[in-house]
Amino acid sequence: MTADQDVGKSRLLDMISIRGATGPLIGLLLLCVFLSIATDSFLSFRNFLNILDQITVLGIMAVGMTFVILIGGIDLSVGSVLALSMMVLGYLNVEAGMPMAIAISGALLASAIAGAVSGLLITAFRIPAFIATLAMMSIARGVANMITNGSQIIGFPAWFNMGAIIRYGGFLTMTVAVMLIVFTVATLYLRYREGGRSLYAIGGNPEVARLAGINVQRTTVLVYVASAVLSGLAGVLLAARLDAVQPSSGVAYELDAIAAVVIGGTSLSGGTGGVVGTIVGVLIIGVLRNGLNLIGVSPFLQAVIIGSVIVLAVAVETIKRRS
Amino acid sequence: MKTTMKAMVAAVATTLMAGSALAGDVNKIGLAVPNLQADFFNQIKLGVEAYAGEKSIEVIVVDAKNDTATQVNQVQDLITQGIDAFIYIPAGAAAAAVPTRLARAEGIPVINVDRTPEGAPGDTFIAGESVESAYQVCNHIIGLAEGKGKMAIIHGQKGTTPEVDRFKGCKRAIDENPDIELVTQQWSQMWSPDEGFSIAQNMLQAHPDIKLIFGQADGLAMGAAKAVDVAGLSDTVIIGGYDGDVAALEYLAKCEGPFIVTATQSTQLMGRLAVDSALKVAAGEDVPERQIPNAVLTTCADAPKFVEKHP
Repeated sequence: MTADQDVGKSRLLDMISIRGATGPLIGLLLLCVFLSIATDSFLSFRNFLNILDQITVLGIMAVGMTFVILIGGIDLSVGSVLALSMMVLGYLNVEAGMPMAIAISGALLASAIAGAVSGLLITAFRIPAFIATLAMMSIARGVANMITNGSQIIGFPAWFNMGAIIRYGGFLTMTVAVMLIVFTVATLYLRYREGGRSLYAIGGNPEVARLAGINVQRTTVLVYVASAVLSGLAGVLLAARLDAVQPSSGVAYELDAIAAVVIGGTSLSGGTGGVVGTIVGVLIIGVLRNGLNLIGVSPFLQAVIIGSVIVLAVAVETIKRRS
Repeated sequence: MKTTMKAMVAAVATTLMAGSALAGDVNKIGLAVPNLQADFFNQIKLGVEAYAGEKSIEVIVVDAKNDTATQVNQVQDLITQGIDAFIYIPAGAAAAAVPTRLARAEGIPVINVDRTPEGAPGDTFIAGESVESAYQVCNHIIGLAEGKGKMAIIHGQKGTTPEVDRFKGCKRAIDENPDIELVTQQWSQMWSPDEGFSIAQNMLQAHPDIKLIFGQADGLAMGAAKAVDVAGLSDTVIIGGYDGDVAALEYLAKCEGPFIVTATQSTQLMGRLAVDSALKVAAGEDVPERQIPNAVLTTCADAPKFVEKHP
């Protein structure tokens, strides 16, 4: 009872709270302090905007991955679905000459179909999520390659690339704006909508969730559709950023997305975590890559440091939970 | 609308460029490479670093691990660090125009090496002439087979400039010899030896009477050589490669396997040319739009001297 009242009182505080993500957030702050001392070029408004540009694709994919991991699933197909979406976009807009609005819708639709197939394989055919999405990873990559027989497509309208370059009001590129909208909507949905809360229930215990009247199968399919559509959206933004599409895009991005979610404190076994933690996780990866480049750390050493940080973040979180 | 925006960008770029041309001094060079795992790019990096070291210029290297999006991020970071010149080797098949535009917008000279993005050329483009050298390699192995027999090609990553050009050159040699029959060709993703191995193994399975194999990179050719050894065909199959990687040159110097010829790219020279061009552009001097340090046909006889010192 008291808990309910507390929630009611501190709703605003709750909205910006970082439940379960304090560890990663402290890590992120320490990282920023260290980088500010280590190099002059890190701590500037402009570099902050660069980092936002740089995390757009990973950020949007990681939101979808958070939903999937919250219900105890995994989605290995996000990188390939991103490539599929990009190729459909390029084909419809450049090769078939359709307006961008239709091309984007087509790209998102293709992604949604890929997600729906994964979801149905998992629910109706009881194939483990790891296997179903592994298969989709291969299928989507194959289809992406088939669209142009492996070649790239260039020749988007000039405004498309400008959306990723021009900073409106000296601050927001179109692509970063889309990312911020996705972050906000996903956070609010998970916290305050019944559908969002039911994801935690399914991740905690699918059987109990079912008995509590949640349509587990339908929700699971929708979660995979959402993950795929967000990957598709990330693909559209990546196409804008690169001003070109190629079927080999997004290889191994699923691992980055999973890493961001896990660093952000969402448990791989499902049921705990959230989008705010994931945003912190995405920022840690983004700041780390940016900062190491700025310090001029050799590319080989960078790979070692990033791996170590993933282990460190998760280890700290695990130890904290146990104690 | 489109033209207005382009004009605006161009105007901004020119103003900024005029501003930086006054500076002229180059203290810091940014080098963006697609993938340091590939010896070819690593050699270029070593060339740039060694030569810049002589001139006491700092070099910052970023490795995109073959991912175009990563490379765009890295170039943003290079610009944040205040580089005075930018040596750009585009990653992936979609050589992105964006890094060039970003650097241009800051008035930073852009030197393209090996690949160049369509529609956004840098101040100069330094790359070997793949068509001619690939022609020489294929012509050499076809000559050894006395102009007849079945041939296979293992391509690099589909759609990249070197893949397209090397095929064009080799095809010319094949077309000149009507008794040579191109029976099979396959594309690799990463130009890597393990891909070369499995692709060649499948090819030999389907066509056991292949006499000639052209691997579009030394890694592919070395992998194919292993597959030929495993199949016990080392005495009948002749393999040509491309690039002149250190490992391949050492292999050739021994002169005992089926892989017998490559085209050695002047990678160290490319690195030096890139640094020199950067200095010239920054000082406002003219540089040629296209610079061609050509690859050198390398057989077992020439390999030892290139192992000593890479061109």
